[in-house]
Amino acid sequence: MITNCNVVLGGIRIPFSLPHFVREKFAEYYHKHSSDIQPPSTIEKREFGFILLKERVMVRHKGFKNVKDLGSFLKMIVPSDVYYSSAYYERPEEKMEEKGWMGADLIFDIDADHIPTPCEKDHDKWVCKKCGAVGRGVTPRKCPGCGEQKFDEKTWPCEVCLGSAKTETMKLVDFLMRDFGFSSEEMEVSFSGHRGYHVCVESGEVQALDQMARKEIVDYVIGIGLEPRFHGLGERSEKKSRILTGPDLNDSGWSGRIAKGTYEFLLSATPEELQQIGLRKKTADTLIKHRETLLESWKGKGPWGIIKDVGVESWKKIAQHGVEKQSAKIDTVVTTDIHRLLRLSNTLHGKTGLRKVMVPITGIEHFDPFKSAVAFKEGTVSVTAADAPQFRLGDETYGPYQEETIELPTAAALLLLCKGRAKMVE
Amino acid sequence: MKTLDIKISDLTNPEYKSILDRAEKRIEEAILLGAVTEQSPNNDIEIPSFPIAVMMAAATADSFIKRRYALAEAKRISNLLGNENKSNITYIANNFNWKIKPVKDPAVSLAYDFTLHYTDFLKNATVFHDKKWKLINRRMLKGEVYLTKSEAARLLEEEVRKHIEGKLDIKVESLPEAVMNRINRLKQLFIEKRGEIQLEELPKEVIVNAYPPCIKELYDTIASGRNVSHIGRFALTSFLINIGMTTKNVVNLFSSVSDFNERLTRYQVEHIAGERGSRTKYIPPRCDTLRTHGVCHSMDDTCRRVRHPLAYYRRKLRAIRRKTPVEKIEKLRA
Repeated sequence: MITNCNVVLGGIRIPFSLPHFVREKFAEYYHKHSSDIQPPSTIEKREFGFILLKERVMVRHKGFKNVKDLGSFLKMIVPSDVYYSSAYYERPEEKMEEKGWMGADLIFDIDADHIPTPCEKDHDKWVCKKCGAVGRGVTPRKCPGCGEQKFDEKTWPCEVCLGSAKTETMKLVDFLMRDFGFSSEEMEVSFSGHRGYHVCVESGEVQALDQMARKEIVDYVIGIGLEPRFHGLGERSEKKSRILTGPDLNDSGWSGRIAKGTYEFLLSATPEELQQIGLRKKTADTLIKHRETLLESWKGKGPWGIIKDVGVESWKKIAQHGVEKQSAKIDTVVTTDIHRLLRLSNTLHGKTGLRKVMVPITGIEHFDPFKSAVAFKEGTVSVTAADAPQFRLGDETYGPYQEETIELPTAAALLLLCKGRAKMVE
Repeated sequence: MKTLDIKISDLTNPEYKSILDRAEKRIEEAILLGAVTEQSPNNDIEIPSFPIAVMMAAATADSFIKRRYALAEAKRISNLLGNENKSNITYIANNFNWKIKPVKDPAVSLAYDFTLHYTDFLKNATVFHDKKWKLINRRMLKGEVYLTKSEAARLLEEEVRKHIEGKLDIKVESLPEAVMNRINRLKQLFIEKRGEIQLEELPKEVIVNAYPPCIKELYDTIASGRNVSHIGRFALTSFLINIGMTTKNVVNLFSSVSDFNERLTRYQVEHIAGERGSRTKYIPPRCDTLRTHGVCHSMDDTCRRVRHPLAYYRRKLRAIRRKTPVEKIEKLRA
């Protein structure tokens, strides 16, 4: 229902024009690596889309019989970005209504933009299009200078932001494996090349799922609609007295996650944090006072009901906070969209010059995006950086730069050029 | 029909009369009571009456009758299943290729009877609104959702309903006159029955006071020129179109947004209104979809009684009508 409109309403924002040097380098990459492109399975049933580097327009509804044809096409047009459909179509090149949807992979996008981090103010920037006022951090609704609402926004693929995106990705993978039972062979985790991670489940069983079913999966992962009573948290009457019970740390699925979230919250919560979730001061103080007893209680039936002054409503609030911490912050729109285009592995990201690369599922924790995604490892070039935060590529740290001309390795220079933070030296 | 080896031309034979009677009765009950209750003790009548009833319901070519009949038959099967043992549920579930297994672990079987693969669960459970049917509120391990016997029967009912609805989705060619008379009688019965439920028409003008909180918020945000997410824009646009706002007025509303592009906006609004592209008129997403995508922030009492923004609007209009004399409604119109 929504998806068809995304094609028109939505989508992919095409950035400013890129310098000739970037075009040269992207062309060089696709000439050298067109055979390394990892095609999606059943390539002939997929729609492809490209942003043309020179013309800065989106070309879509393309189809390819095999990876060789795709490779030759990439060499010929040199796109800044390459996308393929998560969906399988009978006729991928036709208009949306006539494509003949056959099914779609189950996809997840975890983008640093959806996760608040403390460092946004250090590296994200906005410029008012009207008066040129500049600010840092989250873009305001109205320009404090002139009241206008048009801005140029500049974000940055920073280590801290990507680190938190990685944590969310690991939580997501845990849901997919333990709760949904997917094997690591059915899942592909990758770094997008910019500010996030993608998880793609390619499995016969998920292909036919409709939007409503996918929405339920989204709700499961982000913790929406959870009622603690279905996970054992509640009061029951026993011999004229009411007994409060709750889930156990060893429970499977969300029950166990509620227990874990509750345990972790009570392990370190301050009285202020407890009040922030809506507990009364007296309740918060009681919980802090009995922290040791509460932690000890997990060896038995858990903390529920062991303090008579903390009632079921308070425990629900604590559990709800635990749910939030345990949920994985995914982009809800991407997963429910059954016609979505997503970036193709081993192609370049037009905003960074980095590659989209696969992440080994067993080693997500140790994956280093700033090492693995570097596509250009040779040569240097001089650029004039206007304003760039400190960043790392491989083992080298660069910047911060303010209005200065520097000679940088190709990958570092490309990152600044693609992000619009530097210009070529005239 | 084929497996029972009945020819359409045979239906007028006297020996089919009691079968046709029973078939007609099934649909009649579905229309009047929303259920198929009475059961003929004679299997020679009961069994063939079902495919004939399906054919007759399909021949009404009335989507309301078809839906009502499918639901009533599905309910009947669910009731029958509720009384039967686990192996019967498994047997029918297997007919629909469900991945279902009886729970073996004695500790778990105190609370649950079956495990069902989440894909089969979701195929049928997403239309239910009780919170216990949300996947997140289920016990699920390695893709297996735990169910009681009655829950499995309820899900099967939905599967059967869809199955029968699918069977009703055929065009029935000419039938003997005697059968057509029965069908026309059923159609007449339905019209009479429906007459009891007075369907209220939406007024031609839009009444801002009846907007649900989510739409009100989106409306105010857009009207004040601030930006709204794609799904928010879609929800607002499709809502306004569906309550009768013209595409021109919707486009005007968006004109205060900072990145307004009239040509593009008109194209998008017309697309949602079904005036372009696939010619589908889109309806706004359901409440729980808006909740998933973070559009629903502040629910009020009416919200708790509805599942769809348009249902909210209708309900609220009714309340306004009850309270306000006609002249005042005129004034309320935006």
